[in-house]
Formats: sequence, C-alpha cells, structure tokens
Amino acid sequence: MLSLLLLFFVMNLVYKSLFYEKDLQKYSSIINLVRDVPLDADIIYLGESSNNTVRADDLDKRKISDFMGDYFPGLGIYDLTKPAAHAGIFKVLLEQMPEESEVETVIVTLTLRSFNAQWIHSPLETSLQKGLVLLRPYPPLVNRFLLSFKAYEIKSGEEREADFKKQWQRDKLSFPYAFPHEHVREWDRWMAYQGIPDSSGEIDRALTELACHYIKAYGFQIDTLHNPRIADFDGIVELARARGWKLVFNLMAENTEKAGKLVGKDLIYLMNENRELLLKYYGAKGVMVVDNLSRVEDEQYIDQNWTTEHYAEKGRKTVAKNLAGAIRSLYPEEFRDAGY
Amino acid sequence: MLFNTIDFAIFLPIVVLIYYLIPQKQRWMLLLAASYYFYMSWKVEYILLIFASTLVDYFSGIRMAGLPDRRSRLPWLILSLCVNLGLLFFFKYFSFATENLNLVFQKVGLAREIPMMQLLLPVGISFYTFQTLSYSIDVYFGRQKAERHLGYFALYVSFFPQLVAGPIERYSRLAPQFREKHKLSYDNVANGLRLILYGLFIKMVIADNISGIVDLVYAHPEHYGPGNILKGIVLYSFQIYSDFFGYSSIAIGSALLLGIRIMDNFKTPYLAKNISEFWQRWHISLSTWFRDYLYFPLGGNRVSKQRWVLNILVVFIISGLWHGASWTFLLWGLLFGLLYISERLLNDALNLHRAYPAFSAGHLLLAVKTFLLVTILWVFFRSQSVDDAIHIFKLLFQKAPTDPQALLIPLSTWIFLLLFIISDMLLYNSRFDSWLTGRPFLLRWSIYAVLLFGIIAFAGVENFPFIYFQF
Repeated sequence: MLSLLLLFFVMNLVYKSLFYEKDLQKYSSIINLVRDVPLDADIIYLGESSNNTVRADDLDKRKISDFMGDYFPGLGIYDLTKPAAHAGIFKVLLEQMPEESEVETVIVTLTLRSFNAQWIHSPLETSLQKGLVLLRPYPPLVNRFLLSFKAYEIKSGEEREADFKKQWQRDKLSFPYAFPHEHVREWDRWMAYQGIPDSSGEIDRALTELACHYIKAYGFQIDTLHNPRIADFDGIVELARARGWKLVFNLMAENTEKAGKLVGKDLIYLMNENRELLLKYYGAKGVMVVDNLSRVEDEQYIDQNWTTEHYAEKGRKTVAKNLAGAIRSLYPEEFRDAGY
Repeated sequence: MLFNTIDFAIFLPIVVLIYYLIPQKQRWMLLLAASYYFYMSWKVEYILLIFASTLVDYFSGIRMAGLPDRRSRLPWLILSLCVNLGLLFFFKYFSFATENLNLVFQKVGLAREIPMMQLLLPVGISFYTFQTLSYSIDVYFGRQKAERHLGYFALYVSFFPQLVAGPIERYSRLAPQFREKHKLSYDNVANGLRLILYGLFIKMVIADNISGIVDLVYAHPEHYGPGNILKGIVLYSFQIYSDFFGYSSIAIGSALLLGIRIMDNFKTPYLAKNISEFWQRWHISLSTWFRDYLYFPLGGNRVSKQRWVLNILVVFIISGLWHGASWTFLLWGLLFGLLYISERLLNDALNLHRAYPAFSAGHLLLAVKTFLLVTILWVFFRSQSVDDAIHIFKLLFQKAPTDPQALLIPLSTWIFLLLFIISDMLLYNSRFDSWLTGRPFLLRWSIYAVLLFGIIAFAGVENFPFIYFQF
C-alpha cells in the first residue's frame, strides 16, 4: 500500500510539473478568465454572451460590465465572460479565485432562461462539463484520471434533446385560473397548430414558430427543490459566504414585450412568477437581486427571431445603469452618474 | 457503459467483490443481473431483444434435444434462425435493403417505394446473435446438449464482459465455467488486471489519440496532400487494431477477474505473413465462427477448386456484411476474398509455402506486404461510401507538391505508437499477461507504472466509443 501511495505521489508530481499546465490550456482554458483578473480587483462580473454581444450599428460596443464601470471609476471592475455559461460554470470559476484575491463584490448573471429544460439539457453541456473536470478540487493527477475516464455526463445531442422533450411533458403547469394546457409540450403543439395570423388573416409561419420558441423558453415554473440551476446558485451563495464576498445576482432582461405580444398574458404570468420566486428566494439568503426582467424594450433585442439576452447599446446601458443603481448602496462614495 | 469510463471502473470491482463473497450457486444470478444492468445502461428497451433471443433459443434447444433426428429437429432450428437473423436483419439491414430496392424500383420505372425506417442499431446485436445461433446449430447437430437451466443459458447469451463486442464464445467453452466454483486466485486477479491495464492503454492512449487525426483525413481528404492522406490511412490500421484489441483485452481481463476464461481474439495480426494467416490472427472468434458454421457446411476445401473459390467468396462477402449494412463492407469482404484466393493459388502454383523463422528477413518482408494489403482494404471499411473510398485513392496519387493543410500529429502519439509496435512484436505468439509472468519485479512494476501513467496523463479525452460497438 505504501509503495502504491509513493507511486501516486511521484506520478502526481511528474504530471503536475510537466503536463498539467499544458492540459489546462488544451482542455480547460476557461481558467485563463480567472487568471486574467488582477488580485487587487474590487468587483468581478460573471456573464455569458449577454455581456459582450453587440449590434453592428452600436456606437459604443463595450460590455455591460464596462458600462457599469463608468459609474464607479475609482473601482477595479473586471469581467469573466463565457458564452453559454450558466451558474454551474460560474461556480467552478469562482472556486478558482485565488485566496489572496482582494475581490469584495461578485456580480453573477442570473438568466431566467437558464432555468428552462432546453438550457439545462443543452447539447453544449457535455463539452462545457468536460472543460471543468481539470478544475475540480483534487490533485492534478486525479483530475486527469477523471478526465481520461470521462467522469462527466456524456450525452449526445440527440440524448439531450430527448431529455428536454421529456421534461417539457413531465413538468406540469399550474395557474391560479383555468388554463387549457397541461404542460409546455401541449401548449407548444397547440400554438403550432393554431398559428398566428398575419394582417391578411393567413397563418404567419415565422411568427408562429417564434411564439413556440417563447413558450418553450419561458413556459416553466422553477422548482427550487429539483432545478439543478437553483443548486448551482445556492452553491455560489455558500461559496460567497465562505469567502466573505458581497453577492449580487443580476437578473437579466427578457423580451417580455414580445412574449406578451406573441403568446399573451399566460406566459407573462409565468415569467413574473419565476421572477418573484428568484427575488424572494435569494433575497432571503441575503443576496442582492437586481431585477432587470422587463427593463429592455423590444427594439433593443438584437435577435428578433429567437429568444436571447443579447441587447443593443441602449439595452446594455439600461441593464448597467440599473445594476449600478442597485450596488450604489455598497459603494456610495465611489458612485458617479455616468449619464446614460 | 463503456469499459473506459469511470462507471465501469466502479461497476467491475463491485461485481467482482460481491461475486467472491456469495456462494457459488448464487453467482449466476449476480452475473446475470450485472450483465442486464450493463446492457440496459445503453438503452433499456433493447434488453427485450436479448430476452427474445434467449427465450427462443432456450426453448428451441430443449425441444431439439427431445427429438431423435435432425429432420424432426429442423423446424426448431429454422425457428431459431428466423427469429435471430430476422431481428438482426430488421435492425441492421432493413434500411439498407429498402434503400437499394427503392433504387432498383426507380431504375426499372416502378412507381412503388418501400417506406424507410430510421432504426437505432442495438449495441452488440451482431455479437450476441451469432453467439446464441452457434448454440442452436450445435444442439441441432447433436454436438451440444441442450441447457435446461434458463438462468445459465441467459447468462451465456448476455455475459457482460463479452456481450457487446465479443469475443463470440461457444456454449461448450463458456457456459460450463459458470457452474464451476472459482476461488479468488492471485494469478487470475493479477493476469486479469494486467490485461485490463494493457487494453485500456492501447484503447485510450493509442486508438483514441489517433482517432481524431484519422477522422480529419477521412472527413475532408481534399484538405490534405498525398503524404498526409497516407498517414491517415496507415494510422487507421493502427486505430482499428488498438481499439478492438484493447476492447478484447479488457473483456478477457474482466472475465478472468471472475475466474472465467474467454478465448483470445487477436494474436499479433499485423505480423501475419499472408492473408490466410491474418484471418487466423484477427478477430479470431468471428473467423472461427464463419469457418465452423458457414465455410465447413458449404463444403470447405473438400470440393472442386471452382466450388472452393465460391465458398471463400461467400464467406468473405457475408463476413463483410456482418460488419455493416453498406456496399463498402460488402466490397471490403469481396476484396479480402479475392486476395485470399489469389494468394493461395499463387502460392500453390509457385510452391511458395516456405516456413520462415520468426522475425527473419523473409517473415518481416511478408508481414509488411500483408500489412500494406490489409491497410489498403481498411480504406473501404472506414469510408462512408464506395465513392468516398475511391476519392481517397485518387487523392493519394494526385500530384501535390505541398499539403494544402497541415496534419498535426503530436510527438507523444508517435512515441506511443512506436511503443505499441514494439510491444506487439514482443508479444508475438504470446499474450501480455503470460509474457509478464515471471519477469523481474522491477521490470513488471516499471511497465505497470508507464502504462498507468500513460492512461491517466495521455489518454485521448474525446469520447470515441469502441469501433466494433457499431456492429
């Protein structure tokens, strides 16, 4: 047994000194996002593509986190932006923050859509999870072993699609009034069959398809006991508590205007219900939750035929302003009105 | 559940531990439950196909055993053949058959079209179908007594180490071992672990690191010059060998941990001096299956030369189609058959049956020749269509002074490949576990350390399932 331990120790040493860094750069280059944050940063902003997606005609193509920085010119604000990331990824990134980092406040993007079945079972998930294996809190050789032996959920795109379709059918919708559809699958089918008429009374296929997307993207009710995203955000809360960070969840704007126009009040009801739940749930845990849900007008959404949180310049500035206004209470001396 | 995943690394020790803790009489139940669980981890529903095969062959066997002659047993054999081959045909060949029939209808101007079905091929169906068929045929010919215990029979059909990709075992070899009392023995555990370690190394370090490179070349051969295409073609020879040999070693090693011996599937095939010897060393369990259940019943070589040629072609074409429902596999089998026949006729005509000592210049020259021929034929095996294969050959002989795109092959891949070739030569007519037995302690442990470190630190991280799982 002793010789096996010795063998492990030597192998780990060899791997750590000669190969680990190369593997990190090859398979987990996400670590560089954390390494790029200076130790004396005051605030870090964790975001996905909503932070840095711009429209071609934007005059100012900076990120939400940069716009927010304009309100606090005296603070060191840095971002960790990873497209398609979610709380599970953010949590691992935060775990990598060096102990000697002087970060005081952590702002985490809270995207309502990331709680839906399609995002939870996204085909990108296998590759995202693979990228995190080497960052697990074990010795480097153990992490490489776990990576070699595929210790993460490997599912093909088809399998994940089957998973979210199953969930659409499994999760029952509940309204305080009579609602004709039992679950999102049924609602989606009804919408596809019913269709949205255009001005001439003909079914507008593109609009109908978009309405279906909205139903599938926002037609859910967060179950705090079983939704894996809740567990991820809870983990971030625990981590922030342990590290002494002030934690802010930035609930991103969704196109409620279009959702209402295309699908109607039922979908808005669900979106608002989920918003309230998140505000209450994380408010009770001492997290500052900034509510941007309906702050951005339809015109400012870059993707007009899909559901995303990609905002044009004015939209990004609106979110930044709202966020800055909320954290002003944390840094009253540092706040300057950026004039957006 | 793949052999090279953390799931199997947890599953196997648990099964082995419980196996040795429970009484021998209950072990079949554990192994059967474990085998079904193992199989259902792919797709739960497909266990029903294994149930169907098991029940039909079990009852056919019992019925045949009670009948006095072959004639009266024949209907039961036909039932077994129809059910097993019917399932295999439906899941594996139906789409191919309908696609080609529709093409024929179109050519002759018939306005009829058979509807196509997109069916997911149940993993391992070709393997367990052939395994269970061999039992029915043996019972029919009276070579095998019928199994009366449904549990043991079900275990023979589904024994997890060899369920999804062989080796295809015979009832007379495998099933009696389930009834034997196996004590936990140092030799079995040590040899089993050695084989698993070696198998994991050649699958994860050799095959999986080559896989991505080969995929690039075969996906877009026009991006590469002849030199790199040649590299892709040669590397595929090593990929398929290390992938399947790796799988087989893990399967044999896993069974050995339970005290059960499974037949060898590979014996350094790339050191074969001719095509005939290659097939005695490559996928041995399938070659011997075809020999015993197709080639011999067709008359083998105790027939006229023309008939023998026909027998060989039939066996190789069916063997090709066994691998997959595609013209590429059919052509691959046909070409192997033609090569086999030409080599044999040429050797007979020129009296070239000389035995060369191992690793003599003559042996090595012939081995290189065989390797090159086999490598050329792998192009048909690996290509998506016959047109793709021809396209690759055309590009191989094109004039291109420089490669349009570089093919980056890490130095570590070459080093490990070289190590694999050396180890294959060392293991000529031997097996990794027996080769290691009796070697000095320091040498053995140095080899374990290198293999273990290689598996952990250099394994390919992309999820490349074993190639033969698709058959």
